[in-house]
Amino acid sequence: MTVRLYGALVALLLPSGFNDAFADELLSVYAEVDREARLRAGFAGALRALLGEIPGLVRIAIRERRTHRTLRARRVKPRLEDNMIDSFTQDATFAVRSLRRSLGFTIVAVGTLALGIGANTAIFSIVNSVLLSPLKLNDPDRLVAIGEQPRSQTTVSIGSTSPGSFFDWKASSATMELGSYNQGISRTLTGIGDPQQIVGTQITGDLMRILGVSPLMGRNLTLADENAGAPPVLVIGFDAWHRFFGDDRGVIGKTLTLNGVPRTIVGVMPAGFTFPGAPNDFWSPAQLDAAFRGNRDQYYLNVVGRLRSGATVAQAQAEMNAVMDRLTRDWPKYNQGNRIVIQSLRDTIVGSVQGGLLVMMGAVAFVLLITCANVGNLLVARAATRRREIAVRRALGAGTGRIARQLVTESILLALAGGIAGVLIGKWMLKLLLAGSATANLPRIEEIALDGRVLVFTFGVSVVVGLLFGCMPAWHLTRERFTDGLRDGARGSSGHQWTRNTLVVVEVALAMILLTGAGLLLRSFALMQRVDTGIKPEHVVTFSIQRRKPDPTFVPTLLERLRRIPAVQSVAITSNLPVAGRGIGAWFNRIDRPLPENVQPSGEAYRVVTPDYFATVGIPLKTGRMFDANDRREAPAIVVNQALVKKYYPNENPLGKPVYLGAPDNRLFDSAPIVGVVGDTRDAGLGSDPLPTVYIPIAVMRGWPFFTLVMRHSGDPAPIIASARRVVHDIDATIPITNVQTLEDVISTVSAPARWATTLLGAFAGVALVTAILGVFGLLSYMVTQRARELGIRIALGASSGGVQRLVLSRGLGLVTVGLVVGLAGAVVLTRFMQSMLYGVTPTDPLTFVGVSGLLVLAAASASLIPARRATRIDPITALRAE
Amino acid sequence: MTNPSPLSTQVFQILLSLVDHDLHGYAIIQDVAERTDDEVRLTASTLYAAVKRLLDQGLIDEVRSRSRDDDPRRRYYRLTPAGRRAARDEALRLERLAAMARAKRLLPTTR
Repeated sequence: MTVRLYGALVALLLPSGFNDAFADELLSVYAEVDREARLRAGFAGALRALLGEIPGLVRIAIRERRTHRTLRARRVKPRLEDNMIDSFTQDATFAVRSLRRSLGFTIVAVGTLALGIGANTAIFSIVNSVLLSPLKLNDPDRLVAIGEQPRSQTTVSIGSTSPGSFFDWKASSATMELGSYNQGISRTLTGIGDPQQIVGTQITGDLMRILGVSPLMGRNLTLADENAGAPPVLVIGFDAWHRFFGDDRGVIGKTLTLNGVPRTIVGVMPAGFTFPGAPNDFWSPAQLDAAFRGNRDQYYLNVVGRLRSGATVAQAQAEMNAVMDRLTRDWPKYNQGNRIVIQSLRDTIVGSVQGGLLVMMGAVAFVLLITCANVGNLLVARAATRRREIAVRRALGAGTGRIARQLVTESILLALAGGIAGVLIGKWMLKLLLAGSATANLPRIEEIALDGRVLVFTFGVSVVVGLLFGCMPAWHLTRERFTDGLRDGARGSSGHQWTRNTLVVVEVALAMILLTGAGLLLRSFALMQRVDTGIKPEHVVTFSIQRRKPDPTFVPTLLERLRRIPAVQSVAITSNLPVAGRGIGAWFNRIDRPLPENVQPSGEAYRVVTPDYFATVGIPLKTGRMFDANDRREAPAIVVNQALVKKYYPNENPLGKPVYLGAPDNRLFDSAPIVGVVGDTRDAGLGSDPLPTVYIPIAVMRGWPFFTLVMRHSGDPAPIIASARRVVHDIDATIPITNVQTLEDVISTVSAPARWATTLLGAFAGVALVTAILGVFGLLSYMVTQRARELGIRIALGASSGGVQRLVLSRGLGLVTVGLVVGLAGAVVLTRFMQSMLYGVTPTDPLTFVGVSGLLVLAAASASLIPARRATRIDPITALRAE
Repeated sequence: MTNPSPLSTQVFQILLSLVDHDLHGYAIIQDVAERTDDEVRLTASTLYAAVKRLLDQGLIDEVRSRSRDDDPRRRYYRLTPAGRRAARDEALRLERLAAMARAKRLLPTTR
């Protein structure tokens, strides 16, 4: 296909003088280039080879035209037209003139194309940066992510592991070098302006060298920095350097005080390096002591490996399988039933968004196809009105090829104009897309840009689009006998009609597919919004603080003073907000029914809270009691949610049953009875089932450093927040306040990606619907005009206006029905790729399919009504006289 | 005689390929890629843009395919005496430039 495309480009772009001499040979050489590129890199290679040819072709096109008069190759048979005029320049000039003459048509066509191409440019920019570009690390194809997961889980999802496992893997691997990180650690920075929270990454196992990145200044972190007792150092990010030190080049050796500990800056990373994700202000070595290096129940290290030269992922996987077999023998309690999984680092980073992005890319491609069909339709209609002009040119001696080339030049010019406008629109759309909070969680978002590759893509799309719809009228015109066109009053040939009908059917079918996709997302979204979150988020504000030194009076003082703020009803502390994620977890152990020695308990989420937490966020008590002031470290008690009861105590009364959390030798508390059961909250996302959750009083977990405060109030949140800030500042001016928001904001942020997908696909579907309907409308209007004489005769012979209307309507609805059926079939095939984006509906949800079909038919019917009405108003006398 | 203007890398490489044997189009691409370790990769279009000019300037000549079983569309190209001279002039020019760089100790003076 690429060879044929190249042939078309050669025929189209290069002057015939050159082609007569070289085209055959050029094509045979290109065929070999293409074959080799395919052998090397498949279809992508062939495409790259084709793109690589473009500069050369353009160079020949320009140079040969410039010099063709002065010097001609010896084998050229001179052609009359070539000698008289430079046909390409003439084509272009003529096309511009002809497009300018019908300005309305040109504006509509270029505008439609610009929208379609612009949307494609914007989405492709995201796809290009997130999915297609290699990670900005040294030789990223050899980097893998390694994690462990239950054997029963069939889909690979790379999670974290414990230090003990990590060091075992690292020591046993001959195929990979392993390093690990713990991302998103939050530290209080003091000494530079107001105290503030900054986020960084802790690394273990010489990670920086494994990633293969070099610092902009200073040195990288090394294994020596990781020894317990080594001086505290860190490497800062480019942005942090800019923010805190104003690009001071003497920053190496200065200190940054994090959580009260001064750390020496030994390096600054280059701009754009934010591994494993933005924002990331610093990388510090994790200085694990010997005991913690052997820990096997704290799952928090994310492992990255670099394949040694010659090693493959399969070899690494085989090696890790053997390692796991050994670890299962040595540490059955921790490893029984688990397996080690390896995946390319790229897939691990972008895997979660790949499906959604590709669906969006498919959707915009459909929008573009509809746009093409519509502009093609316009062009066919326009060509019909130009039949006389063309016929005259032919009669004067213009060859078929010459006229076809003229028409294709015209449509390529249209498409290029659309492409240029499309880049501008795409740039604007991209900005819009990235501004929303919905894209904030997109991996690699900092890399997204409209770069050269996107421009090449847009240019390529424009040319292909131009060829696609430009060939349609050209094909028709050149097939006609030219005497037809010279005759007065000739109607469009049946060939035209057939093409136009097909185009409208295609438009309707594509619009149907997009509408179905959007409909499904909309239903999911609506269902998700109706999900009971399990909390009462109205009138609750929240903010986070981080305590630097343990101070037993801090919590009671803070709560007491916050409670005294007017209009505040209750105040509580939690380790993690509800609905905003699973948070931390630990092994859940029933003391009254211990598991067999070699069975690993499952980890369950836990939240550390103060007694008023449930009342403040509105979680209802189901049985038992809430916490009170008597639940202390000496006499711990826990509250669990209904999901946990369902999993562990399906037919029992959980109240009073003793449990502990953590590993046998590393317990969060020795033993605590369940004293209450509360309602479930959707912590893993609105579309996911509630997670089993344990609530532990903060008094049991002394020294807990993170606080998220929740305050239920009446009235306006703004003055409450201002007072809360003052209270915290009065207690300790060095404590930064972060993440100030209402609980409703939290829920809205959680559903933002779904809202984004729904809005985007909805917008695409809307454009598709309008375009398709315009297509139907245009076709019928054209038909009424063309058949005015026949309709006039029918009316003259006594056809009722209802009959005439039916004639036009049935034609329109007939086409729509065909399109609908094709579209439904396409939707059934394609919507299953959206499975992961849906909640509560199946990809073939009948209600959505019926609803969308109804919408489409209704819209098409109302669009057909106007031309149908006009048909009844045809005056038979005028219609007949016009002949 | 000195060449008035330096040759482009691609043109020079094409001429170099033809110094010791006649080659057809694709063989030129392969030869150049091989000799330069893929540093200079000609596309079909750039090759023929250059071939056309070299023919026009009389630096290369065309030879019809040599054996009967070869693809009849294939044409072989041969260096003309003028082409050989142009390539040699270019090589001398490059050598003179290298000598200047060596005199300034930009390059080590081995030899």
